[in-house]
Amino acid sequence: MFDLLFQFLTNTGYYLADYRHYIMIVVGSIFLYLGTAKKYEPLLLVPIGFGILVGNIPFFKGFGIGIYESNSVLHYLYFGVRTGVYPSIVFLGLGAMTDFSSLLAQPKLMLLGAAAQMGIYFTLLGALFFGFAPKEAASIAIIGGADGPTSIFLTAKLAPHLIGPIAIAAYSYMALIPVIQPPIMRLLTTRKERLIKMPPSRKVSKRELLIFPVAGVLLCCFLAPTALPLLGMLFLGNFLKECGVVNRLANTAQSAIIDTATIFLGFTVGCSTQADVFLTPKSLGIFFLGAVAFSIATASGVIFAKIMNLFLKEKINPLLGAAGVSAVPGSAREVHLMGLKEDPTNFLLMHGMACNSSGVIGSAICAGILWSFFI
Amino acid sequence: MFGIEHITNNNGWAMAAVGATIVFSGLVVLSFVISQIHKILNFWDEREKFIERFKKKAPAAVEEKADAPVYSERHLPAVDELVSIYQPLVDQLEEPFKLSQLFEIANKNDVPHPHLSIQRLQEADLLVAQGDGTFSWKKPKGN
Repeated sequence: MFDLLFQFLTNTGYYLADYRHYIMIVVGSIFLYLGTAKKYEPLLLVPIGFGILVGNIPFFKGFGIGIYESNSVLHYLYFGVRTGVYPSIVFLGLGAMTDFSSLLAQPKLMLLGAAAQMGIYFTLLGALFFGFAPKEAASIAIIGGADGPTSIFLTAKLAPHLIGPIAIAAYSYMALIPVIQPPIMRLLTTRKERLIKMPPSRKVSKRELLIFPVAGVLLCCFLAPTALPLLGMLFLGNFLKECGVVNRLANTAQSAIIDTATIFLGFTVGCSTQADVFLTPKSLGIFFLGAVAFSIATASGVIFAKIMNLFLKEKINPLLGAAGVSAVPGSAREVHLMGLKEDPTNFLLMHGMACNSSGVIGSAICAGILWSFFI
Repeated sequence: MFGIEHITNNNGWAMAAVGATIVFSGLVVLSFVISQIHKILNFWDEREKFIERFKKKAPAAVEEKADAPVYSERHLPAVDELVSIYQPLVDQLEEPFKLSQLFEIANKNDVPHPHLSIQRLQEADLLVAQGDGTFSWKKPKGN
């Protein structure tokens, strides 16, 4: 009887755990704290945080329990991450939720979305500099796009063994926008620049909104066909929303479908951070480079907005450049809040959303381009 | 391997430059296209007006040229009336006279369509060529 009890005890998580598991459990708890108490991107951090807890409960290997064991339930759920299915589904929902009217009203703001992608390419060089393999470097670089699903999608294609750290880094920095972006924005702009008011946007017709996803998918996917799984779904979702004849599909895409995908994506990505796989020097490097990527992306957008102002008659508020990263709507909200802090009558949210949505398109194109470099 | 050498060996500079250029130019093109959508739609909405305007302008010019004689045929006074208009003018000239002299004097007196009306008088054999480039006035019968 004691033998049986001892055997049972040696198979429990308490017995099998080492310090790395506890570190990861603390990390998961921090995610849950940030998501629930601080409300930093709760839709992402709560499933990821809980996934980290689940993924770091030690178990006896070989019984099909863990996410990396081929016959486990978690492994089947993880299929959507490994193959890039969940990111595509998230993009469908994202498209169905996004209103591109502010972008259509001010197309020049799309350039800020393009400028913010420079963070990706600087980080690509940085990652190569630190000795990462080219495919790993490209996967790390995409963190600069500040788009979780895009980062997961590209990493699944190029460096699947890094999905865990890259996804965690991408989502962490998305959640930490209120901490990372404001100091950079403040550092790179003068008060006078932050006070620049944007003119009200023109009214965009229904037909423009309807034509945009068609024109967008054709132009972008002809340019980078490898971005099809993301941009095809993004623009499909948007077309469903704008065409007005399939409201049921649009409503489902922007609620049940994206929510389901987000739960499984976040949870399984969290589970994939098993301590023995996750806590490596490479992960630390990825976190460092991710922070660099995100900061450079923010700075590139702001600096490019200032450069644009040298040529524009009607100046744009350079804070908007920070919204060129594709963290929707976090960065637009941060830009708006900083604008309001300087002048309570300066509303930048909708303009920020224009940059944000172009950032989503831009980072998906970047993912396609980087992938195509290695095909 | 680390450092600049690792970047160079893995074609990093080229990947970064080409990638940045592609994404930038792609979004520039997309922004240009979407900036034109509303203009194209406005043009499409007003295509009827545009077509009408085009119809009015271009074919009208052709019509004017082609139908000019018809217009004069319809609106030129009858030969009798032309005679009564031109008789006092011819009386001011010395016979034989050049058609340019008659044209000039008709123009001065604001005779409508002097060129056409002189041509009509010639066709009606009221202006008779003298063979040396001059003409004489043949009074119509009954006058």
